[in-house]
Amino acid sequence: MGRKLVSRANAVVNGFFRYVGKLAILFAGILRAAVTPPFNGYRFWVQAMRCGPGSFLIVCLVALFVGMIIALQLAYIMTKLSADIYIPNIVAVSLARELAPVLTALIVAGRVGAGITAEIGSMAVTEQIDALKAFAVDPVRYLAVPRFLALALMLPVLTVFAVLVGIFGGFLICHFKLAITPHMYWTMVFDALTVKDVVTGLTKTAFFGMIIAAVGCFEGLNVTGGADGVGRATTMTVVRAFILIIMFDCLSTFIFYFLFNA
Amino acid sequence: MIEIVDLYKTFDKVHVLNGLNLHVREGETKVVIGRSGAGKSVMLKSLAGILRPDSGSIRIGGVAVARTREFEEVRRHIGLVFQGGALFDSLDVGENVGFVLDEFTSLSTAQKRTRVRHALSLVGLGGIEAMMPSQLSGGMRKRISLARVLCMEPRIILYDEPTSEVDPVTADAIQRLIIAMRDRLKVTSIVVTHDMNTAYKVADSMAMFYHGQVIADGTPEEIRTSRHPVVRQFVNGEADGPITDDESMKFGHVK
Repeated sequence: MGRKLVSRANAVVNGFFRYVGKLAILFAGILRAAVTPPFNGYRFWVQAMRCGPGSFLIVCLVALFVGMIIALQLAYIMTKLSADIYIPNIVAVSLARELAPVLTALIVAGRVGAGITAEIGSMAVTEQIDALKAFAVDPVRYLAVPRFLALALMLPVLTVFAVLVGIFGGFLICHFKLAITPHMYWTMVFDALTVKDVVTGLTKTAFFGMIIAAVGCFEGLNVTGGADGVGRATTMTVVRAFILIIMFDCLSTFIFYFLFNA
Repeated sequence: MIEIVDLYKTFDKVHVLNGLNLHVREGETKVVIGRSGAGKSVMLKSLAGILRPDSGSIRIGGVAVARTREFEEVRRHIGLVFQGGALFDSLDVGENVGFVLDEFTSLSTAQKRTRVRHALSLVGLGGIEAMMPSQLSGGMRKRISLARVLCMEPRIILYDEPTSEVDPVTADAIQRLIIAMRDRLKVTSIVVTHDMNTAYKVADSMAMFYHGQVIADGTPEEIRTSRHPVVRQFVNGEADGPITDDESMKFGHVK
Protein backbone atom coordinates (compact mmCIF):
# COMPACT_ATOMS: atom_id res chain seq x y z
CA MET A 1 0.00 0.00 0.00
CA GLY A 2 2.72 2.45 1.08
CA ARG A 3 4.91 1.51 -1.85
CA LYS A 4 2.01 1.92 -4.26
CA LEU A 5 1.35 5.37 -2.87
CA VAL A 6 5.02 6.36 -3.21
CA SER A 7 5.21 5.06 -6.77
CA ARG A 8 1.97 6.87 -7.67
CA ALA A 9 3.32 10.11 -6.16
CA ASN A 10 6.54 9.54 -8.09
CA ALA A 11 4.62 9.19 -11.33
CA VAL A 12 2.64 12.36 -10.66
CA VAL A 13 5.78 14.39 -9.88
CA ASN A 14 7.59 12.95 -12.91
CA GLY A 15 4.59 13.69 -15.11
CA PHE A 16 4.46 17.27 -13.83
CA PHE A 17 8.14 17.94 -14.51
CA ARG A 18 7.93 16.26 -17.91
CA TYR A 19 4.96 18.51 -18.76
CA VAL A 20 6.75 21.64 -17.55
CA GLY A 21 9.81 20.61 -19.58
CA LYS A 22 7.79 20.23 -22.78
CA LEU A 23 6.05 23.52 -22.07
CA ALA A 24 9.42 25.22 -21.55
CA ILE A 25 10.60 23.92 -24.95
CA LEU A 26 7.51 25.41 -26.62
CA PHE A 27 8.00 28.61 -24.59
CA ALA A 28 11.57 28.90 -25.89
CA GLY A 29 10.39 28.20 -29.44
CA ILE A 30 7.77 30.94 -29.20
CA LEU A 31 10.28 33.44 -27.80
CA ARG A 32 12.77 32.60 -30.56
CA ALA A 33 10.11 32.98 -33.27
CA ALA A 34 8.81 36.18 -31.67
CA VAL A 35 12.15 37.98 -31.95
CA THR A 36 13.18 36.77 -35.41
CA PRO A 37 11.69 38.12 -38.67
CA PRO A 38 9.34 37.94 -40.50
CA PHE A 39 6.94 39.72 -38.15
CA ASN A 40 3.20 39.84 -38.75
CA GLY A 41 1.50 42.73 -36.99
CA TYR A 42 -1.94 41.95 -38.40
CA ARG A 43 -2.21 38.51 -36.76
CA PHE A 44 -1.05 40.02 -33.45
CA TRP A 45 -3.66 42.79 -33.74
CA VAL A 46 -6.48 40.30 -34.43
CA GLN A 47 -5.56 38.25 -31.36
CA ALA A 48 -5.10 41.35 -29.17
CA MET A 49 -8.59 42.54 -30.09
CA ARG A 50 -10.02 39.11 -29.31
CA CYS A 51 -8.50 38.72 -25.86
CA GLY A 52 -8.46 42.37 -24.73
CA PRO A 53 -11.77 44.08 -25.52
CA GLY A 54 -13.44 40.65 -25.61
CA SER A 55 -12.64 40.05 -21.93
CA PHE A 56 -13.04 43.65 -20.75
CA LEU A 57 -16.63 43.50 -19.52
CA ILE A 58 -16.37 40.23 -17.60
CA VAL A 59 -13.08 41.30 -15.98
CA CYS A 60 -14.59 44.63 -14.89
CA LEU A 61 -17.76 42.97 -13.58
CA VAL A 62 -15.80 40.48 -11.47
CA ALA A 63 -13.41 43.19 -10.23
CA LEU A 64 -16.33 45.41 -9.18
CA PHE A 65 -17.86 42.66 -7.05
CA VAL A 66 -14.50 41.58 -5.63
CA GLY A 67 -13.75 45.19 -4.60
CA MET A 68 -17.12 45.36 -2.85
CA ILE A 69 -16.64 41.98 -1.17
CA ILE A 70 -13.19 42.89 0.20
CA ALA A 71 -14.52 46.17 1.57
CA LEU A 72 -17.46 44.41 3.23
CA GLN A 73 -15.31 41.64 4.70
CA LEU A 74 -12.84 44.19 6.02
CA ALA A 75 -15.66 46.32 7.40
CA TYR A 76 -16.76 43.35 9.53
CA ILE A 77 -13.49 43.30 11.47
CA MET A 78 -12.13 46.84 11.01
CA THR A 79 -15.20 48.57 12.46
CA LYS A 80 -14.74 46.47 15.63
CA LEU A 81 -11.20 47.81 15.84
CA SER A 82 -12.33 51.33 14.96
CA ALA A 83 -9.94 51.18 12.02
CA ASP A 84 -12.43 51.36 9.17
CA ILE A 85 -10.67 54.42 7.80
CA TYR A 86 -7.87 52.09 6.64
CA ILE A 87 -10.17 49.93 4.53
CA PRO A 88 -9.44 51.96 1.33
CA ASN A 89 -5.70 51.36 1.83
CA ILE A 90 -6.14 47.60 2.14
CA VAL A 91 -8.60 47.41 -0.76
CA ALA A 92 -6.22 49.31 -3.04
CA VAL A 93 -3.05 47.47 -2.10
CA SER A 94 -4.58 43.98 -2.12
CA LEU A 95 -6.20 44.61 -5.49
CA ALA A 96 -3.14 46.15 -7.12
CA ARG A 97 -0.61 43.66 -5.80
CA GLU A 98 -2.53 40.41 -5.81
CA LEU A 99 -6.23 40.07 -6.42
CA ALA A 100 -6.69 41.95 -9.67
CA PRO A 101 -3.68 40.34 -11.41
CA VAL A 102 -4.61 36.80 -10.33
CA LEU A 103 -8.35 37.08 -10.88
CA THR A 104 -7.87 38.70 -14.29
CA ALA A 105 -5.45 35.93 -15.25
CA LEU A 106 -7.85 33.20 -14.11
CA ILE A 107 -10.75 34.76 -16.02
CA VAL A 108 -8.67 35.12 -19.17
CA ALA A 109 -7.31 31.57 -18.78
CA GLY A 110 -10.88 30.24 -18.65
CA ARG A 111 -12.15 32.40 -21.46
CA VAL A 112 -9.25 32.96 -23.87
CA GLY A 113 -6.92 30.06 -22.97
CA ALA A 114 -9.70 27.51 -23.47
CA GLY A 115 -10.64 29.23 -26.73
CA ILE A 116 -7.06 29.03 -27.99
CA THR A 117 -6.92 25.29 -27.31
CA ALA A 118 -10.32 24.67 -28.90
CA GLU A 119 -9.35 26.61 -32.03
CA ILE A 120 -5.87 25.14 -32.48
CA GLY A 121 -7.07 21.67 -31.43
CA SER A 122 -9.80 21.73 -34.09
CA MET A 123 -7.17 22.75 -36.62
CA ALA A 124 -5.02 19.81 -35.53
CA VAL A 125 -7.75 17.18 -35.88
CA THR A 126 -8.79 18.49 -39.32
CA GLU A 127 -5.18 18.39 -40.59
CA GLN A 128 -4.94 22.19 -40.85
CA ILE A 129 -1.75 22.16 -38.77
CA ASP A 130 -0.33 19.55 -41.16
CA ALA A 131 -1.37 21.82 -44.03
CA LEU A 132 0.64 24.67 -42.50
CA LYS A 133 3.68 22.39 -42.22
CA ALA A 134 3.17 21.19 -45.80
CA PHE A 135 3.35 24.84 -46.91
CA ALA A 136 6.60 25.21 -44.94
CA VAL A 137 4.84 27.51 -42.47
CA ASP A 138 5.92 27.04 -38.85
CA PRO A 139 2.74 26.53 -36.75
CA VAL A 140 4.48 28.02 -33.70
CA ARG A 141 5.29 31.24 -35.55
CA TYR A 142 1.91 31.38 -37.31
CA LEU A 143 -0.39 30.41 -34.44
CA ALA A 144 1.40 30.64 -31.10
CA VAL A 145 3.45 33.85 -31.41
CA PRO A 146 0.53 36.26 -32.09
CA ARG A 147 -1.49 34.77 -29.21
CA PHE A 148 1.51 34.84 -26.88
CA LEU A 149 2.33 38.49 -27.58
CA ALA A 150 -1.32 39.53 -27.50
CA LEU A 151 -1.89 37.98 -24.08
CA ALA A 152 1.41 39.26 -22.67
CA LEU A 153 0.36 42.79 -23.68
CA MET A 154 -3.39 42.72 -23.05
CA LEU A 155 -3.39 41.05 -19.63
CA PRO A 156 -1.59 43.98 -17.91
CA VAL A 157 -4.00 46.39 -19.67
CA LEU A 158 -7.01 44.41 -18.43
CA THR A 159 -5.47 44.30 -14.95
CA VAL A 160 -5.17 48.08 -14.83
CA PHE A 161 -8.91 48.33 -15.49
CA ALA A 162 -9.61 45.57 -12.96
CA VAL A 163 -7.69 47.49 -10.27
CA LEU A 164 -9.53 50.73 -11.02
CA VAL A 165 -12.97 49.12 -11.12
CA GLY A 166 -12.23 47.02 -8.01
CA ILE A 167 -11.20 50.12 -6.06
CA PHE A 168 -14.39 51.78 -7.26
CA GLY A 169 -16.34 48.77 -5.92
CA GLY A 170 -14.65 49.30 -2.58
CA PHE A 171 -15.59 52.96 -2.74
CA LEU A 172 -19.29 52.11 -3.15
CA ILE A 173 -19.25 50.13 0.11
CA CYS A 174 -17.03 52.58 2.00
CA HIS A 175 -19.12 55.59 0.97
CA PHE A 176 -22.65 54.20 1.24
CA LYS A 177 -22.16 51.70 4.07
CA LEU A 178 -19.37 53.20 6.16
CA ALA A 179 -19.95 56.88 5.37
CA ILE A 180 -16.36 57.53 4.32
CA THR A 181 -16.33 60.67 2.16
CA PRO A 182 -15.17 60.38 -1.47
CA HIS A 183 -12.32 62.77 -0.82
CA MET A 184 -11.15 60.75 2.16
CA TYR A 185 -11.50 57.44 0.30
CA TRP A 186 -9.45 58.49 -2.74
CA THR A 187 -6.85 60.24 -0.57
CA MET A 188 -6.36 57.04 1.44
CA VAL A 189 -6.18 54.97 -1.75
CA PHE A 190 -3.51 57.10 -3.39
CA ASP A 191 -1.59 57.43 -0.13
CA ALA A 192 -1.44 53.67 0.19
CA LEU A 193 -0.57 52.81 -3.39
CA THR A 194 3.05 53.07 -4.45
CA VAL A 195 4.61 52.68 -7.87
CA LYS A 196 6.20 49.47 -6.57
CA ASP A 197 2.77 47.94 -5.87
CA VAL A 198 1.52 48.68 -9.36
CA VAL A 199 4.74 47.55 -11.06
CA THR A 200 4.92 44.22 -9.20
CA GLY A 201 1.25 43.54 -10.00
CA LEU A 202 1.54 44.38 -13.69
CA THR A 203 4.87 42.57 -14.19
CA LYS A 204 3.29 39.38 -12.93
CA THR A 205 0.34 39.66 -15.27
CA ALA A 206 2.55 39.86 -18.35
CA PHE A 207 4.01 36.49 -17.33
CA PHE A 208 0.54 35.13 -16.55
CA GLY A 209 -0.44 36.05 -20.10
CA MET A 210 2.55 34.18 -21.48
CA ILE A 211 1.68 31.13 -19.37
CA ILE A 212 -1.94 31.11 -20.57
CA ALA A 213 -0.89 31.40 -24.22
CA ALA A 214 1.83 28.74 -23.94
CA VAL A 215 -0.46 26.25 -22.17
CA GLY A 216 -3.35 26.95 -24.57
CA CYS A 217 -1.16 26.50 -27.65
CA PHE A 218 0.65 23.44 -26.25
CA GLU A 219 -2.58 21.62 -25.47
CA GLY A 220 -4.09 22.61 -28.83
CA LEU A 221 -1.08 21.56 -30.89
CA ASN A 222 -0.97 18.18 -29.14
CA VAL A 223 -4.64 17.27 -29.49
CA THR A 224 -5.33 13.72 -30.63
CA GLY A 225 -8.56 11.80 -31.06
CA GLY A 226 -11.10 14.10 -32.71
CA ALA A 227 -13.79 16.15 -30.98
CA ASP A 228 -13.40 14.18 -27.75
CA GLY A 229 -9.69 15.03 -27.71
CA VAL A 230 -10.42 18.71 -28.27
CA GLY A 231 -12.83 18.71 -25.31
CA ARG A 232 -10.32 17.01 -23.04
CA ALA A 233 -7.51 19.34 -24.09
CA THR A 234 -9.69 22.40 -23.44
CA THR A 235 -10.42 21.22 -19.91
CA MET A 236 -6.74 20.45 -19.34
CA THR A 237 -5.80 23.96 -20.48
CA VAL A 238 -8.00 25.58 -17.86
CA VAL A 239 -6.85 23.25 -15.07
CA ARG A 240 -3.14 23.45 -15.92
CA ALA A 241 -3.16 27.18 -16.57
CA PHE A 242 -4.86 27.78 -13.19
CA ILE A 243 -2.27 25.65 -11.38
CA LEU A 244 0.70 27.23 -13.17
CA ILE A 245 -0.62 30.77 -12.63
CA ILE A 246 -1.02 30.22 -8.89
CA MET A 247 2.40 28.53 -8.66
CA PHE A 248 4.08 31.33 -10.59
CA ASP A 249 2.26 33.90 -8.46
CA CYS A 250 3.62 32.29 -5.31
CA LEU A 251 7.13 32.17 -6.77
CA SER A 252 7.05 35.77 -7.97
CA THR A 253 5.72 36.95 -4.60
CA PHE A 254 8.68 35.24 -2.91
CA ILE A 255 11.08 36.80 -5.40
CA PHE A 256 9.66 40.30 -5.04
CA TYR A 257 9.49 40.01 -1.26
CA PHE A 258 12.91 38.54 -0.56
CA LEU A 259 15.01 39.94 -3.40
CA PHE A 260 13.46 43.34 -4.01
CA ASN A 261 11.75 43.85 -0.66
CA ALA A 262 8.60 44.69 -2.62
CA MET B 1 12.55 12.78 -59.47
CA ILE B 2 11.38 11.13 -56.21
CA GLU B 3 13.44 8.37 -54.69
CA ILE B 4 12.47 6.62 -51.46
CA VAL B 5 14.98 4.10 -50.12
CA ASP B 6 14.53 1.74 -47.17
CA LEU B 7 12.07 3.94 -45.31
CA TYR B 8 11.01 2.91 -41.81
CA LYS B 9 8.46 4.60 -39.58
CA THR B 10 7.08 3.31 -36.31
CA PHE B 11 4.29 4.71 -34.14
CA ASP B 12 4.15 3.34 -30.58
CA LYS B 13 5.97 0.13 -31.55
CA VAL B 14 3.68 -0.29 -34.56
CA HIS B 15 5.60 -0.62 -37.82
CA VAL B 16 3.79 1.44 -40.43
CA LEU B 17 6.58 1.74 -43.00
CA ASN B 18 8.77 -1.30 -43.09
CA GLY B 19 11.65 -0.78 -45.51
CA LEU B 20 9.71 1.04 -48.20
CA ASN B 21 11.31 1.63 -51.62
CA LEU B 22 9.64 3.70 -54.32
CA HIS B 23 10.79 5.58 -57.40
CA VAL B 24 8.77 8.16 -59.31
CA ARG B 25 10.01 9.59 -62.61
CA GLU B 26 9.71 13.28 -63.52
CA GLY B 27 6.33 14.15 -65.03
CA GLU B 28 4.87 10.78 -64.08
CA THR B 29 1.64 10.16 -62.17
CA LYS B 30 2.27 7.30 -59.77
CA VAL B 31 -0.78 5.81 -58.08
CA VAL B 32 -0.22 4.12 -54.76
CA ILE B 33 -2.85 1.60 -53.71
CA GLY B 34 -3.25 -0.50 -50.60
CA ARG B 35 -5.61 -1.05 -47.69
CA SER B 36 -6.22 1.52 -44.96
CA GLY B 37 -3.30 1.58 -42.55
CA ALA B 38 -0.83 0.35 -45.16
CA GLY B 39 1.31 3.45 -44.67
CA LYS B 40 0.27 5.37 -47.79
CA SER B 41 -0.61 8.63 -46.03
CA VAL B 42 2.43 8.32 -43.76
CA MET B 43 4.60 8.06 -46.86
CA LEU B 44 2.96 11.21 -48.32
CA LYS B 45 3.45 13.15 -45.08
CA SER B 46 7.08 12.02 -44.95
CA LEU B 47 7.55 13.29 -48.51
CA ALA B 48 6.01 16.64 -47.61
CA GLY B 49 8.33 16.95 -44.61
CA ILE B 50 5.46 16.77 -42.09
CA LEU B 51 6.62 13.47 -40.55
CA ARG B 52 10.20 12.48 -39.98
CA PRO B 53 10.96 8.83 -40.80
CA ASP B 54 12.89 6.69 -38.28
CA SER B 55 15.41 5.65 -40.92
CA GLY B 56 15.92 5.48 -44.66
CA SER B 57 16.15 8.30 -47.14
CA ILE B 58 13.90 10.35 -49.36
CA ARG B 59 15.39 12.43 -52.15
CA ILE B 60 13.38 14.81 -54.29
CA GLY B 61 15.16 16.08 -57.38
CA GLY B 62 18.40 14.95 -55.77
CA VAL B 63 17.75 16.93 -52.55
CA ALA B 64 17.35 14.97 -49.33
CA VAL B 65 14.19 15.58 -47.31
CA ALA B 66 15.63 17.10 -44.14
CA ARG B 67 15.63 20.28 -42.13
CA THR B 68 17.89 22.13 -44.52
CA ARG B 69 17.50 25.38 -46.44
CA GLU B 70 17.96 23.46 -49.67
CA PHE B 71 14.97 21.26 -48.90
CA GLU B 72 12.90 24.22 -47.66
CA GLU B 73 13.27 25.68 -51.17
CA VAL B 74 12.22 22.38 -52.76
CA ARG B 75 9.37 22.01 -50.28
CA ARG B 76 7.77 25.23 -51.44
CA HIS B 77 7.08 23.55 -54.76
CA ILE B 78 5.58 20.37 -53.30
CA GLY B 79 1.83 20.56 -52.87
CA LEU B 80 -0.17 18.17 -50.72
CA VAL B 81 -3.89 17.86 -51.40
CA PHE B 82 -5.35 16.56 -48.15
CA GLN B 83 -8.10 13.97 -47.94
CA GLY B 84 -10.54 16.33 -46.24
CA GLY B 85 -9.16 19.44 -47.93
CA ALA B 86 -7.62 20.83 -44.70
CA LEU B 87 -8.80 24.32 -45.64
CA PHE B 88 -8.22 26.96 -42.99
CA ASP B 89 -11.60 27.51 -41.30
CA SER B 90 -10.95 31.10 -40.36
CA LEU B 91 -10.07 32.18 -43.90
CA ASP B 92 -12.42 32.51 -46.86
CA VAL B 93 -11.84 30.64 -50.12
CA GLY B 94 -9.84 33.46 -51.69
CA GLU B 95 -7.58 33.75 -48.63
CA ASN B 96 -7.16 29.98 -48.50
CA VAL B 97 -6.15 29.75 -52.13
CA GLY B 98 -3.84 32.76 -51.86
CA PHE B 99 -2.36 31.63 -48.53
CA VAL B 100 1.07 30.81 -49.92
CA LEU B 101 1.18 34.07 -51.86
CA ASP B 102 0.43 36.00 -48.66
CA GLU B 103 3.07 34.12 -46.71
CA PHE B 104 5.95 33.91 -49.16
CA THR B 105 5.60 36.54 -51.86
CA SER B 106 5.50 40.31 -52.00
CA LEU B 107 2.98 40.45 -54.83
CA SER B 108 0.50 43.32 -54.88
CA THR B 109 -3.11 42.65 -53.87
CA ALA B 110 -4.20 42.89 -57.51
CA GLN B 111 -1.54 40.39 -58.63
CA LYS B 112 -2.53 37.99 -55.87
CA ARG B 113 -6.19 38.30 -56.80
CA THR B 114 -5.35 37.46 -60.42
CA ARG B 115 -3.34 34.39 -59.38
CA VAL B 116 -6.13 33.21 -57.06
CA ARG B 117 -8.73 33.67 -59.76
CA HIS B 118 -6.58 31.75 -62.24
CA ALA B 119 -6.05 28.86 -59.79
CA LEU B 120 -9.77 28.69 -59.06
CA SER B 121 -10.61 28.70 -62.77
CA LEU B 122 -8.20 25.79 -63.29
CA VAL B 123 -10.26 23.69 -60.87
CA GLY B 124 -13.53 24.96 -62.34
CA LEU B 125 -14.66 26.99 -59.32
CA GLY B 126 -14.48 30.63 -60.32
CA GLY B 127 -16.30 33.37 -58.41
CA ILE B 128 -16.50 31.76 -54.97
CA GLU B 129 -13.62 33.65 -53.35
CA ALA B 130 -15.85 35.15 -50.65
CA MET B 131 -17.34 31.84 -49.48
CA MET B 132 -16.19 30.23 -46.23
CA PRO B 133 -14.96 26.59 -46.13
CA SER B 134 -17.97 25.60 -43.99
CA GLN B 135 -20.25 26.51 -46.92
CA LEU B 136 -18.53 24.13 -49.34
CA SER B 137 -19.34 20.53 -50.25
CA GLY B 138 -16.73 17.77 -49.84
CA GLY B 139 -15.89 17.78 -53.55
CA MET B 140 -15.54 21.56 -53.62
CA ARG B 141 -13.23 21.45 -50.59
CA LYS B 142 -10.96 18.99 -52.38
CA ARG B 143 -10.87 21.15 -55.49
CA ILE B 144 -10.19 24.32 -53.46
CA SER B 145 -7.40 22.41 -51.73
CA LEU B 146 -5.96 21.65 -55.18
CA ALA B 147 -6.35 25.31 -56.21
CA ARG B 148 -4.44 26.32 -53.07
CA VAL B 149 -1.64 23.98 -54.08
CA LEU B 150 -1.65 25.32 -57.66
CA CYS B 151 -0.92 28.82 -56.36
CA MET B 152 2.45 27.47 -55.23
CA GLU B 153 3.32 26.68 -58.88
CA PRO B 154 4.13 23.15 -57.76
CA ARG B 155 6.52 20.79 -59.46
CA ILE B 156 5.15 17.88 -57.43
CA ILE B 157 1.56 17.32 -56.27
CA LEU B 158 0.71 14.68 -53.69
CA TYR B 159 -2.94 13.64 -53.56
CA ASP B 160 -4.29 11.88 -50.46
CA GLU B 161 -7.48 9.98 -51.32
CA PRO B 162 -8.66 12.62 -53.81
CA THR B 163 -11.92 10.87 -54.70
CA SER B 164 -12.98 9.49 -51.32
CA GLU B 165 -16.35 10.63 -49.96
CA VAL B 166 -17.46 12.31 -53.20
CA ASP B 167 -20.17 11.32 -55.67
CA PRO B 168 -19.15 9.59 -58.94
CA VAL B 169 -19.65 12.73 -61.04
CA THR B 170 -17.41 14.80 -58.77
CA ALA B 171 -14.93 11.91 -58.64
CA ASP B 172 -14.73 11.97 -62.42
CA ALA B 173 -14.20 15.75 -62.41
CA ILE B 174 -11.36 15.35 -59.91
CA GLN B 175 -9.80 12.52 -61.96
CA ARG B 176 -9.85 14.78 -65.04
CA LEU B 177 -8.22 17.55 -63.02
CA ILE B 178 -5.39 15.22 -61.96
CA ILE B 179 -4.79 14.27 -65.60
CA ALA B 180 -5.01 17.94 -66.67
CA MET B 181 -2.41 18.94 -64.07
CA ARG B 182 0.00 16.40 -65.50
CA ASP B 183 -0.66 17.28 -69.15
CA ARG B 184 -0.92 21.07 -68.85
CA LEU B 185 1.45 21.85 -65.98
CA LYS B 186 3.82 18.89 -66.39
CA VAL B 187 3.79 18.16 -62.67
CA THR B 188 4.98 14.93 -61.09
CA SER B 189 2.22 13.39 -58.99
CA ILE B 190 1.68 10.69 -56.42
CA VAL B 191 -1.95 9.73 -55.95
CA VAL B 192 -2.81 7.67 -52.89
CA THR B 193 -6.13 5.91 -53.25
CA HIS B 194 -7.98 2.64 -52.79
CA ASP B 195 -10.48 3.52 -55.46
CA MET B 196 -9.41 1.29 -58.37
CA ASN B 197 -11.50 3.25 -60.87
CA THR B 198 -9.51 6.41 -60.07
CA ALA B 199 -6.28 4.44 -60.02
CA TYR B 200 -6.70 3.04 -63.55
CA LYS B 201 -7.90 6.38 -64.95
CA VAL B 202 -5.07 8.61 -63.78
CA ALA B 203 -2.06 6.31 -63.38
CA ASP B 204 1.03 6.21 -65.54
CA SER B 205 2.35 3.61 -63.14
CA MET B 206 1.09 1.98 -59.97
CA ALA B 207 2.54 0.59 -56.78
CA MET B 208 0.84 -1.52 -54.16
CA PHE B 209 1.68 -1.18 -50.46
CA TYR B 210 1.40 -4.17 -48.16
CA HIS B 211 2.76 -4.39 -44.62
CA GLY B 212 4.60 -1.09 -45.12
CA GLN B 213 6.42 -2.28 -48.24
CA VAL B 214 5.89 -2.11 -51.99
CA ILE B 215 4.89 -5.57 -53.17
CA ALA B 216 4.08 -4.66 -56.76
CA ASP B 217 5.18 -1.83 -59.03
CA GLY B 218 4.34 -1.50 -62.72
CA THR B 219 1.98 -0.16 -65.33
CA PRO B 220 -1.76 -0.20 -64.64
CA GLU B 221 -2.04 -3.17 -67.00
CA GLU B 222 0.67 -5.09 -65.15
CA ILE B 223 -1.07 -4.47 -61.84
CA ARG B 224 -4.45 -5.42 -63.28
CA THR B 225 -3.10 -8.75 -64.55
CA SER B 226 -0.74 -9.43 -61.65
CA ARG B 227 -0.60 -13.01 -60.38
CA HIS B 228 0.46 -11.95 -56.90
CA PRO B 229 -2.38 -13.24 -54.69
CA VAL B 230 -2.51 -10.12 -52.50
CA VAL B 231 -2.51 -7.76 -55.49
CA ARG B 232 -5.08 -9.86 -57.31
CA GLN B 233 -7.38 -9.92 -54.29
CA PHE B 234 -7.08 -6.18 -53.75
CA VAL B 235 -7.57 -5.00 -57.35
CA ASN B 236 -10.49 -7.37 -57.84
CA GLY B 237 -12.01 -6.37 -54.51
CA GLU B 238 -12.49 -9.93 -53.26
CA ALA B 239 -13.23 -10.81 -49.64
CA ASP B 240 -11.52 -14.22 -49.89
CA GLY B 241 -7.76 -14.36 -50.09
CA PRO B 242 -4.60 -13.66 -48.14
CA ILE B 243 -5.89 -10.28 -46.94
CA THR B 244 -8.34 -11.13 -44.19
CA ASP B 245 -10.54 -8.89 -42.08
CA ASP B 246 -8.60 -9.96 -39.01
CA GLU B 247 -5.34 -9.09 -40.70
CA SER B 248 -6.72 -5.81 -41.94
CA MET B 249 -7.39 -4.80 -38.35
CA LYS B 250 -3.66 -5.05 -37.77
CA PHE B 251 -2.67 -4.28 -41.34
CA GLY B 252 0.12 -1.81 -41.56
CA HIS B 253 0.42 -2.27 -37.88
CA VAL B 254 2.21 -5.63 -38.10
CA LYS B 255 5.78 -6.51 -38.91
